[in-house]
Amino acid sequence: MDTLLSLLHGFSVALEPSKMVFCLIGVFLGTAVGVLPGIGPALTVALLLPVTFKLDPAGSLIMFAGIYYGGMYGGSTTAILLNAPGESASLATALEGSKMAKAGRGGPALATSAIGSFVAGLIATIGLAFLAPVLVELAVKFGPWDYFALMIVAFVTVSATFGDSPLRGLTSLFLGIALGLIGIDKLTGQARLTFGVPELLNGVEVTTLAVGLFAVGEAFYVASKRFRDPEEIIPIKGSLWMTKEDWKRSWAPWLRGTAFGFPIGALPAGGAEVPTFLSYSTERKLCKYPDEFGKGAIEGVAGPEAANNASAAGTLVPLLTLGLPTSATAAIMLAGFQQYGLNPGPLLFAEKPDLVWGLIASLFIANVMLVILNLPLIGLWVRLLAIPQPWLYAGILVFATMGTLAVNGSPAELAMLFAFGFLGYLMRRYDYPVAPMVVGLILGPMAEQQLRRALQISLGDPMILLENPISATLLGIAFIALVAPFVMKGLNQFKAAED
Amino acid sequence: MLTSILKRTALTAVALAALSTAAFAQVNELKIMAPAAPGGGWDGTARSMQQALTAAGITKSVQVNNVTGAGGTIGLAQLIGAKGAGDQLMVNGFVMVGAILLNKSPVNLTQVTPIARLTAEAEVIVVPTESPLKSAKDLAERLKADPAKVTWAGGSAGGTDHILAALFAQAVGADAKKINYIPFSGGGEALAAMLGGRVTAGVSGYGEFEGQIKAGKLRVLAVSSSKRLENAPDAPTLKEQGIDLELLNWRSVVAPPGLSADQVKALTDTVEKMVKSKEWQEILKARGWDDAFLAGAAFDTFLKGEIERVSKVMTEVGLVK
Amino acid sequence: MTNDTRTQGANKPALLVGVLLLIVAALIGYDASQQTITSTYGVGPTAMPYVVAAGLVILGLAHFLVAFREGLPQPDEADNKALLWIAGGLIFLIACIGLGGGFIIAITVVFACTARGMGRQGLLVDAVIGFVLGLVIFLVFAKVLTLILPSGPLERLFL
Repeated sequence: MDTLLSLLHGFSVALEPSKMVFCLIGVFLGTAVGVLPGIGPALTVALLLPVTFKLDPAGSLIMFAGIYYGGMYGGSTTAILLNAPGESASLATALEGSKMAKAGRGGPALATSAIGSFVAGLIATIGLAFLAPVLVELAVKFGPWDYFALMIVAFVTVSATFGDSPLRGLTSLFLGIALGLIGIDKLTGQARLTFGVPELLNGVEVTTLAVGLFAVGEAFYVASKRFRDPEEIIPIKGSLWMTKEDWKRSWAPWLRGTAFGFPIGALPAGGAEVPTFLSYSTERKLCKYPDEFGKGAIEGVAGPEAANNASAAGTLVPLLTLGLPTSATAAIMLAGFQQYGLNPGPLLFAEKPDLVWGLIASLFIANVMLVILNLPLIGLWVRLLAIPQPWLYAGILVFATMGTLAVNGSPAELAMLFAFGFLGYLMRRYDYPVAPMVVGLILGPMAEQQLRRALQISLGDPMILLENPISATLLGIAFIALVAPFVMKGLNQFKAAED
Repeated sequence: MLTSILKRTALTAVALAALSTAAFAQVNELKIMAPAAPGGGWDGTARSMQQALTAAGITKSVQVNNVTGAGGTIGLAQLIGAKGAGDQLMVNGFVMVGAILLNKSPVNLTQVTPIARLTAEAEVIVVPTESPLKSAKDLAERLKADPAKVTWAGGSAGGTDHILAALFAQAVGADAKKINYIPFSGGGEALAAMLGGRVTAGVSGYGEFEGQIKAGKLRVLAVSSSKRLENAPDAPTLKEQGIDLELLNWRSVVAPPGLSADQVKALTDTVEKMVKSKEWQEILKARGWDDAFLAGAAFDTFLKGEIERVSKVMTEVGLVK
Repeated sequence: MTNDTRTQGANKPALLVGVLLLIVAALIGYDASQQTITSTYGVGPTAMPYVVAAGLVILGLAHFLVAFREGLPQPDEADNKALLWIAGGLIFLIACIGLGGGFIIAITVVFACTARGMGRQGLLVDAVIGFVLGLVIFLVFAKVLTLILPSGPLERLFL
């Protein structure tokens, strides 16, 4: 009841006209900057931090919330329309979303992503308001061994992105893990696989690989078969809006995506990638039309996009309750608090209830504003696809270049982008799936680091993975998920043999 | 809208400043390089300098550019390449000293022209409140008994936190090579490991742990500065507890090599004026940075001393061979 | 399609991928063997590289097997001229940025070359579009976001 009263009070702060204006500006700026590929929510917030400097704390933080949520929305737009995921968390969205966009279903894809984000954001923000104290207790209990086990679960689900050949899927995955080895080893500070090239010390940037393989690779591929088998992009086919069927197929993925995103996002090292992958593979398994996956299934957009947004709200749980910044964006949000001498943490709720509850209330408002702002924009966005193909792909390459240069303006990084682009082309040509490679790059280093931390704490005893209930359970789930398909197949064959 | 207001105030300020400070050598257009991605710590310092310099009307235009990679050493190489450029500064700090060694960088900080140290932050050694360790001495005893059983949580390998842990082991007479230091990515994860009670002790900048310390979830065993901190007067320094060790995580600005004495003076004057400006002091307060201005020969000597100390301890810990 | 490759003996692309995988595995293994610093506790920085290298060796051998069986899917003939146009534009871009030619010129060329590669016949018009696009992007980044994209002589006129 107290929470509810505080939240109502928060709304009374956030609904002041001046605060609403800040929120609107934040939402607008966040969407505008977030649309640029390579510029994810973290960088969006960092770049716009100085803009908020002159405002009062409450106004500035509310604007922040708007920018944060706006940046998340913007990221999925490029993933769907241009197949250029601006951040690793939009990767899963791009898989089905871009296929839908090419088939003239960009409108419904953007709509299910916007409404899914809204639903997920709403539920997760309610979770933030009411469950934060409970959740945070659990989150802190997660040790390196538990994270490792979670990564293994995520790894097992990658097979959902393999396409029709396990060999080619695994090859792509292992090459991705190999790419993840490049750079400074986080635990010893040693350089691995850099061959004396200083530009490689920071490792391979996920967005560089993803944009290279997805967007640049596709530009090459489409150009290479232009005469023989011209690919047609249909800007709009059927309804621009979601059909009744689309709604029916979207609502459950939204809820499941939220269920993955919010709790995992609240974990200090959970991140947004793992829940989006889990959601993608779950939807693929549960989908009534499994044939559509890989050709543009709406479930594959609805689920991951909801998971992505829910995890964003999840990261605010440890940030507000403990002062733990658990993602790059959260770290910059923390800097935003600190520029007013505020330290988020257990005391902030007690000392500045206006501010905290005002912020949470403005998250609700930002969410509503985003849907109102984005739904009409869909018609405009989709028209982008009507641009003549040569200009469209030229534009995609320009935007990919720009995103890479904005974050890391070195020729070496550009060379990597285009090398990955060409690799993406070759992989498409010989029917190797590209997504597992990016997944390997994201999950490989995370799993390795957490395992090594776990073993460092246990002084090398691997039993630590099985002694802890959470990690043991998760590893059990991973094992079942890995073995079950084979067992089922075996049983079926057995049955068939009996008949 | 905001920028135009800023510009207008800057212009009037420039006009006023031109009248009052003719004796100062001027740098009208300045480029500040942040050798890290936008949004990081060095980038924050560079952009804050930009803000203070233009708002206080000390320089007409300030450009910040980011050169990312290899712990800042790629930016450093570029700075060294810009020989004789009297309008170029680069932000750097303690962390770069270690990164140069760790990355076996072909360039190093002795090749640049040191201008001034700007800010510094004290490090703290903390334990969870339930921990039986009550003082730095207790921790030292534990460390001497069995360094493997004392797990440290902190930032990246070879960073400030790691170096403090190693120096601490050395100072108390434990085997620095055997410390069980676990680098976490970002303060958040390290903090979670502390709160979950999975590690013995944690090392970080004071700011990062402040909320938890004030909430009584973490206990400060020691601060690494020479004096107690203003906002944590109860936390004793290492020196008070008989451990001869002092370490500050500082940030500074340096300029390219091959500058004339006039150019160096102009840059130093510009930075000094900025440090004294109201605008800079406000930023320091807002961001929670401590003023640690040190310029000229004094900074030169300080920098050399830090380079020597870090390379010694990193070799002893086995981070550099 | 699979019949063709079988009659010709081994499937060349699959053999090539197999060889490449073995080379990558060897590189990773070699690099790991050269590491001098290991962790004092737990597993060191070389464990994961060895695991990955082993995995790649298995996958490489599996590709050899596939080469003598069904082979890789046979791709259609590629339009190499189109690829060359696009690749040429991108290589110019890297050189232009690397040699300090600046963002706007680089973007102009990339836009024009890609559009040409995709089949448009209006190099000059496309170059103008690319130029305007590059200029607008540069100015938005510099003035609104205070991020300076790589600058050459042209960009300095606007700063």
